[in-house]
Amino acid sequence: MQKTKPKQRQQTVPIAPAAPAPTIAVRKSCNPDGVGLSHYVLMDRKKVK
Amino acid sequence: MTVPLLTPVDIGHARYMALTDPGTAFWALVDKTQVADILAGGPLLDAYREKAGDFARELHALRFGLKPSAVYVNPTERCNLDCTYCYLPGKMRRDGGHMPQDKLLAALDKLRRYFATVMPEGRRPRIIFHGSEPLMNRKAVFAAIETFDDDFIFGLQTNGTLLDRAAIDFLTAREVSIGLSLDGPEAAITDSTRHTWSGRSVHARVLTAMDALRGYDAWSVITTCTTENLAHLPRMIELFHAREVPTCMLNTVRCTLPGARGVKPADPDMARAFIAALDRSHELYRETGRKLVVANFANILIAILAPTARRLMCDISPCGGGRAFFALAADGGLYPCSEFIGLSRFRGGNLFESGAEAALDSEGFRLVTGRDVDAFAPCRDCAIRHFCGSPCPAEAHEMNGGMDRTGAFCGFYKEQVRYAFRLIADGIADDYLWDGWDEGTETVFKHALG
Repeated sequence: MQKTKPKQRQQTVPIAPAAPAPTIAVRKSCNPDGVGLSHYVLMDRKKVK
Repeated sequence: MTVPLLTPVDIGHARYMALTDPGTAFWALVDKTQVADILAGGPLLDAYREKAGDFARELHALRFGLKPSAVYVNPTERCNLDCTYCYLPGKMRRDGGHMPQDKLLAALDKLRRYFATVMPEGRRPRIIFHGSEPLMNRKAVFAAIETFDDDFIFGLQTNGTLLDRAAIDFLTAREVSIGLSLDGPEAAITDSTRHTWSGRSVHARVLTAMDALRGYDAWSVITTCTTENLAHLPRMIELFHAREVPTCMLNTVRCTLPGARGVKPADPDMARAFIAALDRSHELYRETGRKLVVANFANILIAILAPTARRLMCDISPCGGGRAFFALAADGGLYPCSEFIGLSRFRGGNLFESGAEAALDSEGFRLVTGRDVDAFAPCRDCAIRHFCGSPCPAEAHEMNGGMDRTGAFCGFYKEQVRYAFRLIADGIADDYLWDGWDEGTETVFKHALG
């Protein structure tokens, strides 16, 4: 089996959350390319970019 | 642009309440003691007023402006399992036929030519082999992957029972994204909903396939949540995490066909069990530094944080069926989504006769693509309707009586969104998302007043 470089299995250090502000509002944007559904999820999103 | 009144949403947090503009999917979390002042005007509303038009246009383009970029292909009608909740008719799965290899190759050639007319150059469309059980027609599927390797990005959703070493070597060498299914942390629980036609267990065979995939980064496992396994979801998370599953989904059972409704959990039970599983995934992340992303919840979080970055297109209205993707049945029939195969009313013609373009404009497809939560009660008055989308239209139609009805798990979705907002309020939303989930996104609004 070809083993590709693991991404999700990398260990990351959980970061302690910063002190919260009284108001939080964030929005990010990108070109949409989602085509997954509840029967299948894409696991290689970067390839479509 | 005139900014409509923001709608308060109690998210069950000690300090914060959410304010949303449902029409643009804008939201802010505000200190409960300051809600009245903020609604009266000030920097937050001023900043939003400047962006409201952009957000409305962005959401409209996402909901109505997409072209298909994927096809879910059923290369066979047959399945070697008889799962309680399957959305495909039993007769089709037991007695149905395969799509012959030459026909499957011809279908992909037709689809390749169709996508060349609608997709930007340099971006490959996706073909996801789906079921019934696609590996029942393995020779044809592998021939198709071999033949069109440069034209499509391939995925395979399988029950895992036919995924032997040779199949895994073939698929992983070609970076095919693989999805499996497992419903319990032990055989007795899995067996209650997933088994062969003669009632034999497949639990151990799926675990063997999972072990063989360990180390590959493009695979996932789906657990269908029913009354039979609800109490065991945290143990499912433990099993998946221990076996280094990169991503899982804990999906509500789709209630399109009557068989599934007999194991449908009540919304509050589903929410309680689901959140317990998410909490367990977070504990394991904190203990080990390794994430197990629950993709269907991650998608709700992303729908809030970055609406256009969704990976799944169920939780949006109209859903992705018949517009972001469509389904090809083994007899050449075209449907908005594989969920509709078996419901003849939604058939949009045949790929080899009328073609994909005609299907997209067919009455069956328009029934699905025309389902708009802005247009029917109670969704049109719901503050979170564009984080949820009221899935699934197949359930709404078959179980609740029409496209202008809610899906099967309205209350569960509300609880998910409230939970997602609490994680954002606590600054730990990224713990539940893929590392680098926002690569390629631009921050278009950020407001954190101290």
